[in-house]
Amino acid sequence: MEYDVIIIGAGPAGYVAAIRAGQLGLKTAVVEQMYVGGMCLNWGCIPTKALLESAKNFDRTKHYAQFGIDGIDLQKLSFNWGQAKSRSTGITKKLTAGIRYLLKKNGVEIITGTAKLGAGNSVMVNDNKISATNIIIATGSKPKAMDTQLEGAPIVEMEKLFTIETIPENIVVTGNHVPAVEIVQFFKLIGKKVTLIANSSSFLYGLDDFLLSYINKKLKSENIELLLNVFPERYENGELLVGDKKIKCDLLVNCNSRSAIIPESEIPLEHTDRGFIKTSDDFETNLKGVYAIGDVSGKSFVAHVASAQGIHVVNTIKGIKAKFNTRAYPINMYTSPEIAQIGMTEKQLKDEGIEIKISEFPLSANGKAMIEGNTDGFVRLLSDKKYGQVLGAQIVAANATDMIAEAGAYMAIEGTIYDVAQTIHAHPTVSEIFMEAGFDAVDKAINK
Amino acid sequence: MRYIFNFPDIGEGLDEGTIIEWYVSKGQEIKSGQSIVRMETDKVVAEIPSPKSGTVIARFGNVGETIHTGTPLLEIEIEGVFGEEAVAQAKAPVVLATVEEGSTAVVGTMELAGSNAYLPASEEGFTVPKTEKKTFLKVLATPVARAMAKELNLDINKVTGTGPGGRVTKDDVQNFHLQTVPEEKPGIQAPVTPDEAVTYEPLSQIRKTIAKNMINSKLSAAHMTVFEEVEISDLIWLREKYKKVFSDKNVKLTYLPFILKATVNALKQHRQLNSQMDLENNRMIYKNYYNIGIAIDTTEGLVVPVIKDADKLTIFQIAQKIGELAEKAKERKLTLAEIRDGTFTLTNYGSIGGIFGVPVINYPQAGILGIGRILKTPVIKDDQIVAGNVLPFSLTVDHRIVDGGEATRFIINIMEYLKDPFSLMME
Repeated sequence: MEYDVIIIGAGPAGYVAAIRAGQLGLKTAVVEQMYVGGMCLNWGCIPTKALLESAKNFDRTKHYAQFGIDGIDLQKLSFNWGQAKSRSTGITKKLTAGIRYLLKKNGVEIITGTAKLGAGNSVMVNDNKISATNIIIATGSKPKAMDTQLEGAPIVEMEKLFTIETIPENIVVTGNHVPAVEIVQFFKLIGKKVTLIANSSSFLYGLDDFLLSYINKKLKSENIELLLNVFPERYENGELLVGDKKIKCDLLVNCNSRSAIIPESEIPLEHTDRGFIKTSDDFETNLKGVYAIGDVSGKSFVAHVASAQGIHVVNTIKGIKAKFNTRAYPINMYTSPEIAQIGMTEKQLKDEGIEIKISEFPLSANGKAMIEGNTDGFVRLLSDKKYGQVLGAQIVAANATDMIAEAGAYMAIEGTIYDVAQTIHAHPTVSEIFMEAGFDAVDKAINK
Repeated sequence: MRYIFNFPDIGEGLDEGTIIEWYVSKGQEIKSGQSIVRMETDKVVAEIPSPKSGTVIARFGNVGETIHTGTPLLEIEIEGVFGEEAVAQAKAPVVLATVEEGSTAVVGTMELAGSNAYLPASEEGFTVPKTEKKTFLKVLATPVARAMAKELNLDINKVTGTGPGGRVTKDDVQNFHLQTVPEEKPGIQAPVTPDEAVTYEPLSQIRKTIAKNMINSKLSAAHMTVFEEVEISDLIWLREKYKKVFSDKNVKLTYLPFILKATVNALKQHRQLNSQMDLENNRMIYKNYYNIGIAIDTTEGLVVPVIKDADKLTIFQIAQKIGELAEKAKERKLTLAEIRDGTFTLTNYGSIGGIFGVPVINYPQAGILGIGRILKTPVIKDDQIVAGNVLPFSLTVDHRIVDGGEATRFIINIMEYLKDPFSLMME
């Protein structure tokens, strides 16, 4: 069977590329082993955020009395893990059905099986040989395996978290990046004893130091123990040995840094030093007409960038040329409060020798934030001194992950702090803090 | 109405191009700014964007065919334009705007080069030639691009955007502002037929452009050349040592990456050499980025691809980049972006066997460094005559900008780095 495009993997990189290819009239097939929607829909973005929402609601309920709501007996309040899971699964089912529908609607063939790359742009699936002018590898990644010395420890990866019947008391999470912080806070919010082990020196690498120091303080205030740059060494008698510490551990959640899932290939694919598939600026591998996008190419590990890469590659294949902008994408943390960042950090800007102005506005002076009872947070804009171009934005707020889109729009059109200040924001809204930070950068904030 | 898009002057002074690949087909809806065709000229391969949105009615020319500038490339149906004015304009002769002096950017001339035989469907993103008695329409541009254009005192309407929907971005303004003239070096001479006394051949566009730019450089800049020699035995040892390491990674290590690195380090300490004089505005423009042009001799003639932000690259990356660009130059696959925006130029006639030269400045740059061939020659070391390896240099500067003392300090600075190549890595 001959196609214009074969896409291997139906996660947020692959399925978006497939839909786009279908829309452009390319004869397209997508090969998926098991999960349409990939990690994002099945055990990543969507289900974990659904669980976090349950946990945040659980926590909020404890504070309802101050909003004038009586009748909640805190003694009787409990977290129903089974229900939270099934709500999450329900959302996943709806969304994956939606993707199957969209793939079908756009004429994309879904082939279930494991793909192996052959010579001459061919792909072997279930002993059938298919081929295409272009092949897009979007096979994703998995967390690095835990040390073999930890055998016997109750290790679980996110993929399998949803199969656990009950959640034990003492939880240890290992990992260095956003998902590790989110999941450790989830367990904390539902009342578990938690420890976060950041087993490398690059805890939350890429985040602005200002946000990092906020997060460190936040973890401390919530009694979440954070162990930096250490490795769990052994597991015995229900305890994890980390350095000279013994930590009670009934469940060890592996949120480690990612390693690529690279499909077998007859002609070897070139790798980067870190073991991902090496690609050009337009995501082409060392094999002509074979592209790699999403986690497997190691250029980013978030769904929205993977999807953007997918669209870019399909456009490139179709001859619609554009430069892929790698800098301006949001990094979101669905913690409580939420944390979001876009663009360059203070350090990156300083390293590039760009003179910047930093303007901030706290949520504690924002009416809507007070109304909602979420005054923990701020907005921070980094702009260049010369033209006032917004080069970076950081937000801590209950809905920071949605609010960051405003900064994304400013940055996409190379907007300046003058544009931010002159955009009339409705009152009362939390988003007003943007306008205030804009004023602050231009001259002086009104309400500060 | 129908609009015929003529092959525009893509700014290198070339009057024809060969179609390599069509990106659009008949009946296809296209957007303004979308690449429609890939064209190869004598110097570069360029993607030609459509100036208008609409539906493709006809393509003129097949892959492999040569198209002259000003002749039709694509016919587009643009919706929403009709009436007498459309008819009148459609009948008007196709007038090609001439490229302005010193303006070599594709972006600056693209719209001017088109036919006037259409009315814009939308005001945004469209500019009209200055010669027309029409009010200037507002070009689509980002806020930062506008601020920058204002500060640089340039007309943003002359800049064609590469952003979404043809929006003018910061980079577009920067590129427009910093565009450089093409390299001025002579190409390879055609063989003379022996049985006639003289042979008459028409001047090619490249030759005309070269002639214009050479004269422009010689008339605009005050050329002054200094000559130096440096003993580089340590560098030879170092290069020998790493040649194999590099070639294992498929990268050829020549002396050029070291010389380029030394030049960039020296440019950082002598900013006049990385500058340009802006007499119109009574000021100097010091460039805080280091884009080094490398003269590469190809069968088609000399081209000067530019190594961008060379200060941020390691010796390995520079060597790799030189290899890549040389390869592309030989296959004539360089893009316009790859030959623009140089801030200083290296010309290595030593690779052909030359020793000294008086290079002509790639105007408006402030200097050009000529590199000769390494000479095995007796030198005095510790009062003994020993075999030495001497590398000759010829540095031409624009004396309006750079004084003799500074030129000599600059070249001595480069020589010190090359005498003690380890010092290159210490910064």
